[in-house]
Amino acid sequence: MSLLTNVMDHSLDEGYAEAAAARGGEHDSRIPRTLRGLLTLGAGLALVGAVVTVGAVNAHKAEPTLAKERDALIHRINDSNGTADHLQKEVQDLRRKVEDTQQQALPSGDAGAAGLTDQVGLGEVTGPGVKLVLEDAAGTGSGGNVDPRAGQGFSNSGRLRDRDLQLVVNGLWGSGAEAVSINGQRLTALSAIRAAGEAVLVDNRPLVPPYNIQAIGDGPKLLSAFENDMAGQYLRLLEEKYGIKSTLSAQKSLTLPAAVGVTLRTAQPVTPEPSPTPTPTPSGGSSTGPGGTPSGGSGTAESPGASVSPSVTRSVPTAKRRPTSGSAKTTTGTGAARP
Amino acid sequence: MIAVLGLVIGVVVGLFVQPEVPDAVVPYLPIAVVAALDAVFGGVRAMLDGIFNDKVFIVSFLSNVVVAALIVFLGDQLGVGSQLSTGVVVVLGIRIFSNAAAIRRHVFRA
Repeated sequence: MSLLTNVMDHSLDEGYAEAAAARGGEHDSRIPRTLRGLLTLGAGLALVGAVVTVGAVNAHKAEPTLAKERDALIHRINDSNGTADHLQKEVQDLRRKVEDTQQQALPSGDAGAAGLTDQVGLGEVTGPGVKLVLEDAAGTGSGGNVDPRAGQGFSNSGRLRDRDLQLVVNGLWGSGAEAVSINGQRLTALSAIRAAGEAVLVDNRPLVPPYNIQAIGDGPKLLSAFENDMAGQYLRLLEEKYGIKSTLSAQKSLTLPAAVGVTLRTAQPVTPEPSPTPTPTPSGGSSTGPGGTPSGGSGTAESPGASVSPSVTRSVPTAKRRPTSGSAKTTTGTGAARP
Repeated sequence: MIAVLGLVIGVVVGLFVQPEVPDAVVPYLPIAVVAALDAVFGGVRAMLDGIFNDKVFIVSFLSNVVVAALIVFLGDQLGVGSQLSTGVVVVLGIRIFSNAAAIRRHVFRA
């Protein structure tokens, strides 16, 4: 405290008082009268003016530099985004090629595996269906500009959570949807919808609101079934209570992309082997695929609609139970194809 | 008259010559500006008190600027540069305020 008082009391340089006392009179001079004194004062004030101006000019000069740096950074981000998009496209192309090659390598007579690709999410599907757009309530700082570090978490109840999406997607499956995608990401039986921090992730890829959910099915029938379903009522409740907007509409034709990160895991040679030794499932291909952990804890979109239940497929050493008639089986998960 | 002329010359020089400030000195410039302002307010107050002394003014101005910059420089070397510059700004700010108050009392008699 005394330090502050000291600063307050002695705001004027004590040199002034001392100099005045040395000169004798307390009020002898207001401004210097001699030419030399005036010149010194002028020089001093010139220095002051110069320092202050240079400071101001310098601060102004720094501004465009900062803006330039920012622009350069933005440019770099855009460039990298472009490169990433390009690579993503390349990945898709290559994946398609792999798929085609796989299809060719598989025994042609096996229509089962080929027929399953649509249902398990491996193939692009087109057909009638419903489109559901979910949007966070207004004023929740959404719209792609959510700062994941803002720290609000999902405490803001106007935001959609992972379990809302889980419920909606499960409702769609339950209402007879044959294929579902969220924001252009196809859901498979192993897809996980979960939350990490502020973001909702589907298969470990973050989603940006608004959430555009598309489901293939018998359009109007699926629509009414969903509306009468628990999930439809839940959505109405969300809209009523929290202002979360949902728009549901039947569509004549929807195209859902193939799911990514799904691999053919087991296949068997065309020629029947003499001994029915099981084709060993590659060890890596158990439960942790890029498709996410299928364990229920953090929420898995399970598909009652899909006829292949991956949990069954995985637990069974396939060859034992099935006749080795050169069949191939498509499942989701990681692993290798064995021709 | 000469004093005002000096001030104008200083501003003009700063504006038009735009001396290249070395990068090493740039961080201390704002502090130096605050110190300079403190010296100016002190000088004006001394003038109104009737005890102005040109030599004291010049010396106090130069030493203020140098010491303020030095303190911040030292702080930077010790890793507490921002804290020390805050301290310098607080002390100088208090002085500027109380000097400004004294000037106001002189000018407006209130």
